[in-house]
Amino acid sequence: MTHEMKNLMDADLSESECMLVDVYRQLARTLEMYGDELPPFARRNGLKALAALWQVMNGLDMDPGQLYDVGA
Amino acid sequence: MTDSPYWNPRHETMARKDVEALQVRKLRNLVEWADSQVPWQAKRLRDAGVTADQIRSLDDLQRIPIMTRDDWMQGQVEEPPFGSNVAVPRESAIRYHMTSGTTGKTPIRVLDGMKDWEWIAEMWCYGLWGFGVRPRDVLFVAFGYSTFIGFWGLHYAGEKLGCLTLPGGAMATDQRVKQIVDMGATVVASTPTYALRMAQEARALGIDLAGSSVQRLILSGEPAGSIPATKKLIQEEGGARAGDTAGMTELGTIMIFECGEQPGGTHIIEDNYIEEVLDPESDRPVAHGEMGERVVTSFGRGFIPVMRYRTRDLVVKVPGMSCRCGRTWDLYEGGIRGRVDDMKLVRGTNVYPRAVEAIVREHPEIDEFQIHLYTAEGRRDEIEILVEIPDQEADAGGITARLEKELADAHEALRFGVKQVDLGTLPRFELKAKRLVDDRIVIGTEGERRAQA
Repeated sequence: MTHEMKNLMDADLSESECMLVDVYRQLARTLEMYGDELPPFARRNGLKALAALWQVMNGLDMDPGQLYDVGA
Repeated sequence: MTDSPYWNPRHETMARKDVEALQVRKLRNLVEWADSQVPWQAKRLRDAGVTADQIRSLDDLQRIPIMTRDDWMQGQVEEPPFGSNVAVPRESAIRYHMTSGTTGKTPIRVLDGMKDWEWIAEMWCYGLWGFGVRPRDVLFVAFGYSTFIGFWGLHYAGEKLGCLTLPGGAMATDQRVKQIVDMGATVVASTPTYALRMAQEARALGIDLAGSSVQRLILSGEPAGSIPATKKLIQEEGGARAGDTAGMTELGTIMIFECGEQPGGTHIIEDNYIEEVLDPESDRPVAHGEMGERVVTSFGRGFIPVMRYRTRDLVVKVPGMSCRCGRTWDLYEGGIRGRVDDMKLVRGTNVYPRAVEAIVREHPEIDEFQIHLYTAEGRRDEIEILVEIPDQEADAGGITARLEKELADAHEALRFGVKQVDLGTLPRFELKAKRLVDDRIVIGTEGERRAQA
């Protein structure tokens, strides 16, 4: 799978950076849509991972916004 | 990339115009967030006629009202216990911290969500990585781990980096020194004052701290980490390179750090903050190279949006390119130079505690000192420096005489009394040192105190 993605500074992200962006987005979407269905261990660990991946999004200039609604 | 000298290579070396573009975009987001989530901030912005969509350049920052500590405290009075500047319900918080309370004032109370707390550690990662700390390191944190935020973020940054992180809480100084040596710590984090205290304790225990495995000292909590003479003493006694950092409870973490090049200043983490330097009287920006007051805007902690917060810290900003490390982030030359309200007027002469410390620390024989202001004969301000000189062989008379002259020469011939006191007489500090005691009275009264030191 080849990605092409630019950040908000119009800089190209590397393939591995793109993959992390995808992971973040998928995790955020999963927790938003299915967070209440997940068992405690899965939801809380998912949130902790999301909070860590938020730092990646922030560092890549992807404007991740806030996460309080999701619980992180 | 794992051998990169930068934690975030793209951001730390980006062109200045890109740094500014990034800051403008983040500022716009911050204004929008504060406006939508915090009624108190929304009113301030509305009164100033500021909306997010009007933020187009860094010049627009000037239109946002400056926030003071008094504003913060008033908010805590009106909406206890956390104040008016909270963007999210308390239930979303995972951490509560507060200021150290060394000034005796009511503490500032802060809350953080999960991603805020990760961000707090992230800012420390910039500092640790930038000073050369790596996953192979053993990091000892000489800190009390209380509700004071202190080195909490550094601890989590150490874990994030992959260091073996040793929490040095609830220990006496001798226990800390022994553990540093026994565990082979390669990095030690503490206040500058406490770094000297540990070196002193090591000597008393017959431990050669300078010959231990410690290679780096991470300093924070006091301006002394960038005073050249103090830093030199810390490095000599600790046998390690010392890197200065500075942070604030109001931000939750550090905003500046010294890189491995040790340029005599601290880089501003400019992808996560805007640091303005203003004339404290006029609030107008001062030029690079001129001293002014730090006013900070933070993009990290969403729980408590900080926009143009007046810090009272005195700094001198210089361009990042003056450092050889390759970062484009501006520097505070000499770190935090002192506080706007630190200055004492003694018989018409300005006395800054940091400047006094810089001179006292040129005399390594002096172990501890205190600046004492008092009123003589009920009508004359006096200043004396109390010093402890542990080495019985040292020429104490010569040292105090030289110090008197050096202090006078640096202060328009103001007379300083320098007095040697018995060992162990002066207080020792683990957190922020308080070495100035102002016992002056209001002249003409029966002893009404003029100031609380």
